[in-house]
Amino acid sequence: MAETRLRTISIISWLALAIAAVIFTVTGLSQAGIDQGAWISEALLWVTAITLVSLLSVPAPSGSRISLGIGAIVAASILTQEVTAFAAATAAALAIAWVFQRRIDTWSHRTDGDFLSDALAAAVFGATYVYMEELFLGWGLSDDAWTVVGAVAIGGLAWFIVRALVAAFVGVERTDLAGRYLWLLALEDWAVVVSILAAGTLFGLTWPVMNVWAFAVAVLPYAFGHLAFERYHSTRVTYGQTIRALAQIPEVAGLAPRGHSTRTADLAVAVAQELGLHPNDVIQLEYAALMHDVGRITLNEPAILKAGYTDEDIARWGAQIIAEAPYLEHVSALVEQQHRPYRSPGIEIDPDVPMASKIIKVASAYDQAQIEMGLSPVEALEKIHQGSAYEFDPQVAASLRRVLVFRGAIPY
Amino acid sequence: MFPNELVRQQKAKVRLAVGFGVAGVVVLGILFAVQEFPTPLWLWALFAVVFVFFEWNTVEVNDKLYASPSAMVIMTAAVAFGYESAVLGAAYMAALALLTPDDIRERRWFQPAVNFGQLVITVSAAAGVYVVVRGSEPVSTSNLWRVALASGIAAITYGFVNYQLVLFIVRSVYGHREANPWSHMTSILLPMTGMGFLGGLLGATYVLVGSASIPLIGIVFFTGYMAFESYAQLREAQLSTLAGFIKALEAKDLYTRGHTERVAYFANMIGQAMGFNGTQLEKLRWAALIHDVGKLAVPREVIRKKARLTDDEYGEMQAHVHHVEDLLNEVEFLRPMVDIASNHHAHFDGNGYHGSTGETGETPSLEARILAVADSFDAMTSTRSYRVALTQEYAFGELRKNAGSQFDPDVVEVFVSALSASGERYGSPIEISEEEARRRAEQGIGHSHAATESPHMDTNRGRGSEAAHG
Repeated sequence: MAETRLRTISIISWLALAIAAVIFTVTGLSQAGIDQGAWISEALLWVTAITLVSLLSVPAPSGSRISLGIGAIVAASILTQEVTAFAAATAAALAIAWVFQRRIDTWSHRTDGDFLSDALAAAVFGATYVYMEELFLGWGLSDDAWTVVGAVAIGGLAWFIVRALVAAFVGVERTDLAGRYLWLLALEDWAVVVSILAAGTLFGLTWPVMNVWAFAVAVLPYAFGHLAFERYHSTRVTYGQTIRALAQIPEVAGLAPRGHSTRTADLAVAVAQELGLHPNDVIQLEYAALMHDVGRITLNEPAILKAGYTDEDIARWGAQIIAEAPYLEHVSALVEQQHRPYRSPGIEIDPDVPMASKIIKVASAYDQAQIEMGLSPVEALEKIHQGSAYEFDPQVAASLRRVLVFRGAIPY
Repeated sequence: MFPNELVRQQKAKVRLAVGFGVAGVVVLGILFAVQEFPTPLWLWALFAVVFVFFEWNTVEVNDKLYASPSAMVIMTAAVAFGYESAVLGAAYMAALALLTPDDIRERRWFQPAVNFGQLVITVSAAAGVYVVVRGSEPVSTSNLWRVALASGIAAITYGFVNYQLVLFIVRSVYGHREANPWSHMTSILLPMTGMGFLGGLLGATYVLVGSASIPLIGIVFFTGYMAFESYAQLREAQLSTLAGFIKALEAKDLYTRGHTERVAYFANMIGQAMGFNGTQLEKLRWAALIHDVGKLAVPREVIRKKARLTDDEYGEMQAHVHHVEDLLNEVEFLRPMVDIASNHHAHFDGNGYHGSTGETGETPSLEARILAVADSFDAMTSTRSYRVALTQEYAFGELRKNAGSQFDPDVVEVFVSALSASGERYGSPIEISEEEARRRAEQGIGHSHAATESPHMDTNRGRGSEAAHG
């Protein structure tokens, strides 16, 4: 249902943009004393430029891809003297880019939600930019590069906030994610956004005085950053894959149930996102959940298997193994704490047990109840509820229930 | 090293430090007389800080391309300062970079004095060339091509002078060392020219657009730099995670402890001696790290079994190893390394066990051949469940005996000479025959690091020689 609603919103916003483009064109051309030929060629030039640049995107730390279109929109807003030409060009270009994007979405990696937030944010940027520039000039500031930079900075901030809000709104509509989580996720991207805005502004300011050399000045330095963002993104993907692969060694060795680590991680991440944990904590939690049973590799040793072991031993051995990797100290600590009850007699809630560890405990137990005892999802969840006197945090259990309801695993 | 050689080096260092120090001061003095100090002062200070920062932190794009943003900053500054003060401004900026944090911490004075002179001379030469090529005409839209050209040429000068000075310093201190001045020139000058060209244009941007362009350029570069740093850190994290993890898993088993690390070390040694570049070495190091990871999933009693494995046990072991290979194959960038690792038991002549990807009769890749030598050498020089460690000489002999059939003869020779040259020694310190080694193992002598990789796993079940075990 949420999907259909999103589709409707997207189509309405597309129509709104197309209508806006027509209205701006009509009002622009009917202004007194306007050179119509110049107006049209200027608008067409920017329609082309913004459309093409909008199709390029860069992977941001949050995992979403940010369109470079805003860079072109910034340049256009600085370079076009006619406000209506700028507005018409932006609206038309975004509408066209969206259609393109839908055709080649495997290539541009962007979704309708991204488009919607870009379109709204672009409109907000344009309005803020024009308003701020007039305001600055009204204050008696000179019409120089600093005024432009100031107006772009405030317009860019507005653009960023709107984009983050829309992303949070669309995300909540579409999945079982907390708005807070999505908002924090969007904030992770500020460096990429600032970089694109600065490159666009640089182009807008240098084009009149440097002509084609403006491409070198604005594009080359940005390209360096773009390459770095791309590489960072691909390394993060392979880092996750590496941990996923290593985590499965005990399963391959037959010392842990097949697929348990992956399912636990999947569920734990969903619960963490539903609860609105910080995105950085969610990544750590994902790694910890994937590797929560890695200590079981120790059971390879017949002597240890014979001597017997407890959940605490598995957690401790796992933490020792993970601690060997210098960048995973925090993950190691989470794994070590995973067996602990969230409270004990006389203590309301144990403050030393991190939220992430409590989530892993619940997710792991839920999966185990299903595969080891053969329980149905409802029965497995019931087991968690029964254990919530000491073992399982009720707050986490409630969140798990919401996630399962959302996924259709259990009835509402 | 002979004491008189040390004395000679010490004297050369003192001469260089004094010479370069004085030369630097003289150049700065002359510039002070002929040029003006740049205005505004804050701009000079800003460029100086950025320059010093980049001198201390080089950005390594990849092993073939060392970007040197400091040359770029010099060109930006030279263009921004203008004809009257370009050289002076740039040279005084360079003078500030003389002390690096490491030098200060270790209270060295030779390095800073030489650095100071070297940088001042290099930067003055580059800025001087720029001023001469460009002329005194102010920057404008119509002469930008000339700004770009002059900055490019100046950057080449920077790279060339810097390289020659470094070479001169190395030769004065270590006179006998051979160095070919041209072999690395293209890899240094090419990016240098590009950086200089861009630096010049950025300086022109400041002149034409005004001070508002400074934060914009700064932001674009800074975010790019930060992203590169986090990328480099993440890459490092990935390698150390895998290495640490495998080390920890191995350590859970007393018997295989350290094997992977040593094999990676030997493989790296061979790769270096064979002239591998950074990317190739890294690939080899990854392959060595994962070459035995499959065995971690094999039950210990199978690994440690002294008798020949039954077909079922052998099949089970193969299945486990293949499962782990499948897991690692899911990590995109590890795929080529998994391929190498899974082929490391294949023989040079095409026989032997070829892993899940290789074909019998096929010569394994060079990396797999290197890994085979490194792995077998460590297997022979460490104690196993069925015999104690053999001597290094014995291991070399076995490698040579099987060169051409099991091992690549070139790799064997490179390894033997590299390890001999390093002066490191592995294996048993006392002469010991193979029979004696087996007998001692049976009696439990020398079992302190008892080991055990099974002799059954590799090989085509017995057809391989002793050297194949690993």
